[in-house]
Amino acid sequence: MKEALWLGLHSLKRVRVLVLMIGLLLAGFQVLLTMVARSIHRSNAFEDMSKLIPDFMRQLLGPSFIALMSFSGIVCVGYFHIAVMGSLVGLTIALATEPASEIETGFMDLLLARPLARHWLISRSVALIVVCTVFTLLMMMIGTWLGLYCLAPTEAEWPSPRLIRSLVLNLGVLMLCWGGVALAISSVSRRRSVAGSTAGLLALSLYLLDYVARVWEPAESVRWLSPFMYYNPLETILGVETPARNLWVLAGVAFAGFVLAYFFFSRRDL
Amino acid sequence: MATELAIQIHGLTKKYGRLTALKDLALDVRYGEIFGFLGLNGAGKTTTIRILLDLLRPSAGRAVVLGKDCQLHGLAVRERVGHLPGEIRFYGDMSGVEVLNLLARLGRRPVEMSYRRNLLERLELSSSDLRRRIREYSTGMKRKLGIVQALQSDPDLLILDEPTEGLDPLMQESFYEVLFEVRRRGRTVFMSSHVLSEVEKVCDRIALLRKGELVLLSPVEEVRRLAARRVRVIFDRDVDRGPGNLPSGHEILSLQPRCWTVRVSGHLGPLVDAMAGLPVRDLEVEKPRLEDVLIKYYREGPS
Repeated sequence: MKEALWLGLHSLKRVRVLVLMIGLLLAGFQVLLTMVARSIHRSNAFEDMSKLIPDFMRQLLGPSFIALMSFSGIVCVGYFHIAVMGSLVGLTIALATEPASEIETGFMDLLLARPLARHWLISRSVALIVVCTVFTLLMMMIGTWLGLYCLAPTEAEWPSPRLIRSLVLNLGVLMLCWGGVALAISSVSRRRSVAGSTAGLLALSLYLLDYVARVWEPAESVRWLSPFMYYNPLETILGVETPARNLWVLAGVAFAGFVLAYFFFSRRDL
Repeated sequence: MATELAIQIHGLTKKYGRLTALKDLALDVRYGEIFGFLGLNGAGKTTTIRILLDLLRPSAGRAVVLGKDCQLHGLAVRERVGHLPGEIRFYGDMSGVEVLNLLARLGRRPVEMSYRRNLLERLELSSSDLRRRIREYSTGMKRKLGIVQALQSDPDLLILDEPTEGLDPLMQESFYEVLFEVRRRGRTVFMSSHVLSEVEKVCDRIALLRKGELVLLSPVEEVRRLAARRVRVIFDRDVDRGPGNLPSGHEILSLQPRCWTVRVSGHLGPLVDAMAGLPVRDLEVEKPRLEDVLIKYYREGPS
């Protein structure tokens, strides 16, 4: 156990700068969004802005479109903005592919020449994914509250803490889901680039599938395959309670990924 | 007795699809010996080592290391083993001392700092070297760091894969001294190599792999005895006849009036008998070289 702790600390030390930078950038992005929302709110331009949105986008967004065109809605955009989701999923994939990187670099030989059980390497990665997910999301929350406290106009309606918590919880579970998938892929790979690009391409494909399925009916039947379907931030902003099933599906995929990673890694040749 | 054996390998086979990397390997390594594991590239040396460390799972057979099955009791085995991989790679952004400390913490045997310092001194790695990032290290320095990490916890068994690859001749000598000292303290060394002069100098026994199969397992002295020696017989005056019918194992390389050159495999007796009554001034016997035998095995196998 003590050995595993040292291994975890070693891994955390290696990624600390990356995680800290992403955390700070995302927190900064949240503050920036609050500034944007304040600016639109002050110029009372939400209505003008909504006119600029093309019809197909309105159709795509549905009733949540109205919720989005508000101070609170703009502040919450950071929790489902494609750049934010992309960087968070990318970070998770980078963390999850550490075992493949250790095999590729040959460092795994040095680690496993010690009395260190293989499952600790996967446990280390799971712990790292969880810790870094919690940290980055906390940083985003801090950014949101910092922006609101410092920049929000007094008359503007703030997003409720419950809404932020719900978005964070859903986004966090989505990250864990991709962490599980990437770790399972990593546990059978010999190269980080292969594991990372496979998981990344899969994430991108399934993101696009979810998007396409919203506007193109034939794709609707396979939309359930995309984990992104189970993350509905716009509905959450509208005040619709996220179905527990969505969280369970994402958590289930994460869990299955972690279990598969343990299974594959314990049996494979290194 | 099983307890006298540091490594016991029985029928070890490893297949990668259709390719058989290791075929029915069986050998024993005794406690306190330096065992050389030889073979050309791709012969199966590293595969065997990786199986002993449970990094690879065998297709058949088993290996018992320090009295325990290396798969079933891998943790207990690796607690007492020090390993130097053939292709050693560290993270470039870590310093030498960070690597040593991390790897020491991951082991369960305490690392005596005085012993580590001693190793570092003998391998000429200074404390300023250790503070530098690994990416600034030369190949030789990385190798030395690898040797120190394998030895620092003073393990009962050292499994070394091509340990002197990249070391300069002086460092190789220092390393051999370290190995001899390790042996004096009763530790066992299992090392793969394809440097025959090194094996000849350091090892007590050797095993030779060829295309995944064991073709030779013998003490180094025995192997040397198998080697053909080149014998030059120098006469005081011209001799007008040859040595006559020599038994098999004797090959006449040149016959000159004042000098015969004969290659002899085995005893010199028949040649000495053939020289009876001749004006022999001198007899030069070349020291048999391990290389001569092993290269033959590399090429042809045991036949």
